[in-house]
Amino acid sequence: MIENSFNRRDFLKVLGWGGTAVALSACGNTSIQDGVETVVSYVELPEYAIPGISVYFNSTCAQCDAGCNITGRLREGRVLKLEGNASSDLNHGKMCGLGQAGVQAHYNPDRVREPLLRNGDKGEAIAWDKALGLINEKLAGVKGEEIAFLTGGVSGHVKVLLNNYLEALGTKNHYSYEAVSPSVVRAANKKAYGVEMPRLRIDKAKVIVSFGADFLGAWVSPVHFAQQYAKFRKANENGRGVLVQIESKMTLTGANADRWIPIRPGTEGIFALGVVNALGSAGLALPADIAAVSKSYDAERVTKDTGVSGEQVTKLAALLKERSPSLVIAGSAAEGYAHGSQNAAAIALLNRVLGNVGKTIEAPASVPFPQVTVSTGNRSAVQALNDSMTNGKVKVLFSLGANPVFTAPSALKFKENLSKVPFKVVFANFLDETALEADLVLPLDSALEDWGTSVPEYMGEASQLNITQPLMEKLHPNTRGMGDILLSLLKQRREKEYKDYEDFYSYLRSAIVKNKSALGGNGEDDDTFWTAALSTGMVHFTSAANSLSAKSSAAGLVLPPPAEEDSAYPLHLIPQVTASMRDGRNANQPWLQESPDPLTTIVWDSWVELHPKTAAKLGIVEGDIVEVTSRSGSIKAQAYLFPGIHPDAVSVPLGYGHVALGRWAKGVGANAFGILDQVVDKETGELALNETRVKISKTGKRVFIVKDEGAVGGSQAGVKIAVRASTDEVELSGEV
Amino acid sequence: MSVSNMLENWSKFRHMHPVDDKPHEEYKWAMSIDLDACSGCNACSVACYAENNLPVVGKQKFDAGQQMHWMRIERYWDDDGREFPDQGAQFLPMLCQQCEAAPCETVCPVGATNHTADGLNSQVYNRCIGSRYCSANCPFKVRYFNWYDYPTTDNVWPAEMTQQLNPDVTVRGKGVMEKCTFCVQRLERAKNNARTEGRLVHDGEVQTACQQACPTGAITFGNLVEPESKIARQWAHQQVELAARDKQAKDEQEGGSDLRGYRIFEELRAYPSVMYLERVRESAI
Repeated sequence: MIENSFNRRDFLKVLGWGGTAVALSACGNTSIQDGVETVVSYVELPEYAIPGISVYFNSTCAQCDAGCNITGRLREGRVLKLEGNASSDLNHGKMCGLGQAGVQAHYNPDRVREPLLRNGDKGEAIAWDKALGLINEKLAGVKGEEIAFLTGGVSGHVKVLLNNYLEALGTKNHYSYEAVSPSVVRAANKKAYGVEMPRLRIDKAKVIVSFGADFLGAWVSPVHFAQQYAKFRKANENGRGVLVQIESKMTLTGANADRWIPIRPGTEGIFALGVVNALGSAGLALPADIAAVSKSYDAERVTKDTGVSGEQVTKLAALLKERSPSLVIAGSAAEGYAHGSQNAAAIALLNRVLGNVGKTIEAPASVPFPQVTVSTGNRSAVQALNDSMTNGKVKVLFSLGANPVFTAPSALKFKENLSKVPFKVVFANFLDETALEADLVLPLDSALEDWGTSVPEYMGEASQLNITQPLMEKLHPNTRGMGDILLSLLKQRREKEYKDYEDFYSYLRSAIVKNKSALGGNGEDDDTFWTAALSTGMVHFTSAANSLSAKSSAAGLVLPPPAEEDSAYPLHLIPQVTASMRDGRNANQPWLQESPDPLTTIVWDSWVELHPKTAAKLGIVEGDIVEVTSRSGSIKAQAYLFPGIHPDAVSVPLGYGHVALGRWAKGVGANAFGILDQVVDKETGELALNETRVKISKTGKRVFIVKDEGAVGGSQAGVKIAVRASTDEVELSGEV
Repeated sequence: MSVSNMLENWSKFRHMHPVDDKPHEEYKWAMSIDLDACSGCNACSVACYAENNLPVVGKQKFDAGQQMHWMRIERYWDDDGREFPDQGAQFLPMLCQQCEAAPCETVCPVGATNHTADGLNSQVYNRCIGSRYCSANCPFKVRYFNWYDYPTTDNVWPAEMTQQLNPDVTVRGKGVMEKCTFCVQRLERAKNNARTEGRLVHDGEVQTACQQACPTGAITFGNLVEPESKIARQWAHQQVELAARDKQAKDEQEGGSDLRGYRIFEELRAYPSVMYLERVRESAI
């Protein structure tokens, strides 16, 4: 670092000024590169800041909605690394790759740094006062119902302020939209168990049958589940757990299964009822309603419909009967159909028949304050907003944490309809596709600079309120926290109510301290309680446990026959939600782009997965650029021959193909959201992700796929490298 | 080091730990990776990027095989020609095996890579002249060469991204070989702290970055010299000997062993410090 004109004499002088504390200021971004910053020593050295020694602060991961508790490692006022918070119920000190990359969202050079006002095709930097004044001005004379607020999943005190602001504006139009949402899971769980998110005890189960739930990859709370999975796999008092995965395209979880069963797309419910029937034949007593529904699903019919051998069904039933408790999970793969809710209901019957409810499916801890729980939503929300926009009923639109221009089904023509809104305000860290359409973009603090709280939808042992606190000083002077912006906007409307709060921090502190008795701080001094909350990075609600109601009835459950062949579009498209890319909001973090997809090992691009048999039929070889065409559109991407997929299906990852979002995301891959047909689950209105039919054609171009696996693909060529043994060959007891 | 010098003093340069005249004294760092717990999720790899200042090279250089992942996940399929991989994939986290008789060490013309007293295969960046012999000789292909000067390459660490760099770890320049160090910066800190307090590093006191991140806790790391450490108990239970010749004794028994522990390329006598535990699949389904 010390070079050029910074010679030895100067160096000694510097040492003289400040001892070992040279070149370091409390929380700034100083460096001693020539001419970049002046070297200033601490006037007063903070007690905790010892140059060269790391300090750690707790906060909350904002990379996905699981809400893992994290610990940031700091040196000289800079965040270097995010690690798991060891005292967390959720992630117990562990972290996934996506979470680790959170520092790259923070230090990303493509962040929005100033409020930007549209001037033709350009955004002009304006001052915050002017920006906030402009919002007030544009809202004047607009009726409440003509104002809409679109968000991703929001929770905690930002949600409280948001709702207060909406109330102050006299509008109820809060649209909550998650592009990849477990909303069918929620609805099905609510029906089967009485709660939307029961606690799944993967660690207690002896057998897990997962219908496409990628709980080790991208489903609900993967880091939490991964730790339970580790316990499940240990040869403890339960014996080593057995995982059976049933899906049409192998997920990361499927790749870790003891038995991976490829199934004809959409027939998961039929398979589940087939297993119920086989359990009945094996002598398990079935309740009358279930027996009635499942009796026609004999092995022959199941084989014909699902393509899975009858022997496999019988074997699975025998295993489930012998080893109890088990756990059956319905995942997004089973639910991404027009009859997704029925599939999920059929799968839930298995848990009832096997007596798992109450054993491996437990009641979650409840949150006593509904105003802070996460707002959930799905495609129907964005549809409702889109309809209002089409009819010109939206005059002012706010958008936070959602990117529908990138993710909404193309049939909605969202971008076109958005242009009908006279004034659009987007709160953003980056200029994504939706922010580019805005009239006013307000730059947000990164998750490592901001204050906030959040409530994870899926809880561990106790229900908790996660605290987000700044791990370091703001990188850019003109970004603001969402809480602070909402507070300023609220002050425009309800000056009296909010004038005591200088900033969001003071609001947050008073709101939490005021409720300390419900947060486990009964009788504690305010300051002590608050300091403890900040130092652990979370507080726990003192609340009664929920209860489950196992009320799922089989009556009325009707499953459609397997989908008919479609000669124009012969293949099922299964869009994959990968652990790194998810819905694409983190695509501009280079660690994630360079982190190979676990199954294909591809980096920096989209791909089209085809079974080698299907590829041979179509004359496609690896690296062929193929066009995937659905009724809604087409994309081009490189073909990858993949054995872990049903021959009737093709799979394309979501999250790639940005046309904005920054240097590492723009132009990488193709956007699979754009070709999804708008078929919805009939009960929930959620987009049926797997219902799109496609055809594949060669474009004549071919590339070398950029991937991590070697020239021989996944072959070990007979050398003992990654070894697998079957349970009857190894002695697991007594292992350390 | 001239060739004649190398030949004359071969046994000295080929000196390996642990041998009777020079056993490991206080520390011998070792690792084990449970392939049955590993889900192949890549968290370890990203953690390594964050901890060790690894550059993101981009698509073009990745294509040229210039990626710098010290910790990578290898994915294998069955070789038996079945239509579907119905027992899943095989994942193998591959990192420098810190061999006790490391093939990379003996071929370095400048002694840039050599063995430390606590059993690490260390790489002295300042000494490295970039001959890449070590990489050619590494059976595991875990050495990574800086073909470019990444700190000055576009979009590797632009603007604010430099602030994420870990000051405990060098940012390597062009022409230097690098590889996994078992997070030596963490080891040194732990050892220094322990020394200040007049003790040895406790078991579990120091974690490597990959181990710390691993969501399933598949990675165990520690001091093999201390018999009560988890790593030493694991190696002992699996009957994997650090200095076994060609084959582990347990594998020479008739019918093989019913224990899961093994090392990759045992027969090359590199004596790796990383033990893998075989992946297990249920026979009843």
